[in-house]
Amino acid sequence: MDAPSGNAGDRSSPGTLDDTQQPTSRREGPSSPARARSAHRGGAAPWLIPLLVLVTLFYLYPAVQVLRFSFTDASLLRPTFTYGIDSYTRVLTDPTFFHVLWITLVFVLASIFFQLVLGLTIALAVQRGAQNNLPGTGLFRTLVLSSWVMPGIVIGIVWQIVLNSASYGMINSILGSMGIASVGFLSRPTIALWSVILANVWRGTAFSMILLYAGLQSIDPVLYEAGEVDGATGRQAFWRITLPSLRPVLLINLVLISIQTFNTFDMVLALTGGGPGRATEVLALRTYNVIFDSFSLGEGSVLAVIMLLLSLAFTLIYVRFLSAEERL
Amino acid sequence: MTVQRRRRRGDVMTYAVFFFCLIFFGLPLLWLISLSFRTAEEVYTSALKFIPENPTTFNYTSVLSSGRFQQYLLNSLKLTMAGSIGAMLFAAPAAYAASRMKFRGRPLFLIGVLSLQMISPLVIMIPLYRYFADLGLLDSHLSTSLVYMAILVPLATWILKGYFDGIPKELDEAAFVDGCSRRQAFLRVILPVSVPGFAAAFLLTAILAWGEFVVPYILLSEPAMQPVSVGILSFQGSFAQTATQILAAGSILAMVPAVAVFIALQRFIVQALTSGAVKG
Repeated sequence: MDAPSGNAGDRSSPGTLDDTQQPTSRREGPSSPARARSAHRGGAAPWLIPLLVLVTLFYLYPAVQVLRFSFTDASLLRPTFTYGIDSYTRVLTDPTFFHVLWITLVFVLASIFFQLVLGLTIALAVQRGAQNNLPGTGLFRTLVLSSWVMPGIVIGIVWQIVLNSASYGMINSILGSMGIASVGFLSRPTIALWSVILANVWRGTAFSMILLYAGLQSIDPVLYEAGEVDGATGRQAFWRITLPSLRPVLLINLVLISIQTFNTFDMVLALTGGGPGRATEVLALRTYNVIFDSFSLGEGSVLAVIMLLLSLAFTLIYVRFLSAEERL
Repeated sequence: MTVQRRRRRGDVMTYAVFFFCLIFFGLPLLWLISLSFRTAEEVYTSALKFIPENPTTFNYTSVLSSGRFQQYLLNSLKLTMAGSIGAMLFAAPAAYAASRMKFRGRPLFLIGVLSLQMISPLVIMIPLYRYFADLGLLDSHLSTSLVYMAILVPLATWILKGYFDGIPKELDEAAFVDGCSRRQAFLRVILPVSVPGFAAAFLLTAILAWGEFVVPYILLSEPAMQPVSVGILSFQGSFAQTATQILAAGSILAMVPAVAVFIALQRFIVQALTSGAVKG
């Protein structure tokens, strides 16, 4: 941890990861007599019950109910419904569903690819800037992170303005000043999807950057010194030392941003509303529309169950990565 | 000589990355700020110009003087505070138990908390909407903030547990030796030294709560009850085509609280985020 943080703007604490590594080793240490005694100080139940009640009422129970509704023909407009698998057959034979899945897949894969590449590039630059006390590093990092704390709706609105074809659209104004005809970033179906991806990368890169930056700081500098002694070039050091050391953080990052992107709804709603046509209607937005625009609770619940299953799959992968890392 | 040259090349590349990202991340915001200070004529006539000819604060005053927007901001503040503080109240004891006590199903509890965080709030809103409608709990800040708490509680638990893990166990044990019960040890010894952990949990959950959209969008249809994350969308509906400069000013007002808090206190947040997410 010899990264100097002398730069006034750089508020990172190089000790961050050390602080969090301590408890792991402490937890695995031999139990002391006092600790054995503390086991007799009542069960954990009273400590956990408030949280369990809250989560059961507002999370678990609704999640189970979604499953139940998916096997009905329920509608928001009618109080009565009957059970069956009609909703599943209707959703799974609807070509719209597969179109939405395809759009979602492109959206998620492209977003995570660019977020990881850009996030890693920025993390490397910020780390280098902090190590060499390059002025402006802290300010720069703050700017990147600011885009991440903005409400998703506002991000959608910002990009809706920036990409607009009207006189107030920034990109088209720039293109216009260079004599290039205006581009329908939000009105041409193929381009619109990439506009949504662009806005999502703008929003999500900071999160990848901050995790990867923490990962970079935890790499033992001795590895680089050894590499230098062996005559490794900067590029070799990156491929042979940096990337392999970042593997666990990269994997965790991958899972987290996949699920975040997958659940994205607000930003798309403000940016394109899923249009033009259905060109940018991702699964979360589709689920909302089916229920709250078409009032079809049964079919919307089928989509929600699919979302739930995917979340579950991502969680299992995440837990595997986490426990694999813990064992190191 | 070569080392120096390599170093200088590295500096140049670092600044190249900074420059590219400044444009990518900064320019859209700069454009929004520029729009928010323009007069209506300048929005629709002028070409590429970042600095308005006749800068005006009219857009801001007109947004703020409409009582509706103030109400949005106030509602956001209420829901954010209730959601974040409530989430910490529910999370703190559970996080302490997860950090200090051995109980059956502890790994399952931790994985469960983690997996809740992966579930889109949209999914749980589907049945909740129906039930709240049946119970007459729509358009209520009370029921909405309970849902906020439920959505924020996994993150709060995770952050607080991470912080408690970093506090030496000897502290609790010393308290037991002095005759404290578990509860007393927690309240009198651990809580006072956990203020930075609570600050981090509060800030992160508050930033999330400020931007939370799906929950209030579905539960609050009465404009007077809506937070700014929902209200700005109806602003977009009414102003996007006709008065973009007003929408720009509103968007900036909607993001400023979260961004300002973040910039002022980013040290806490970044630390909590990286330790919580990377180390689990």
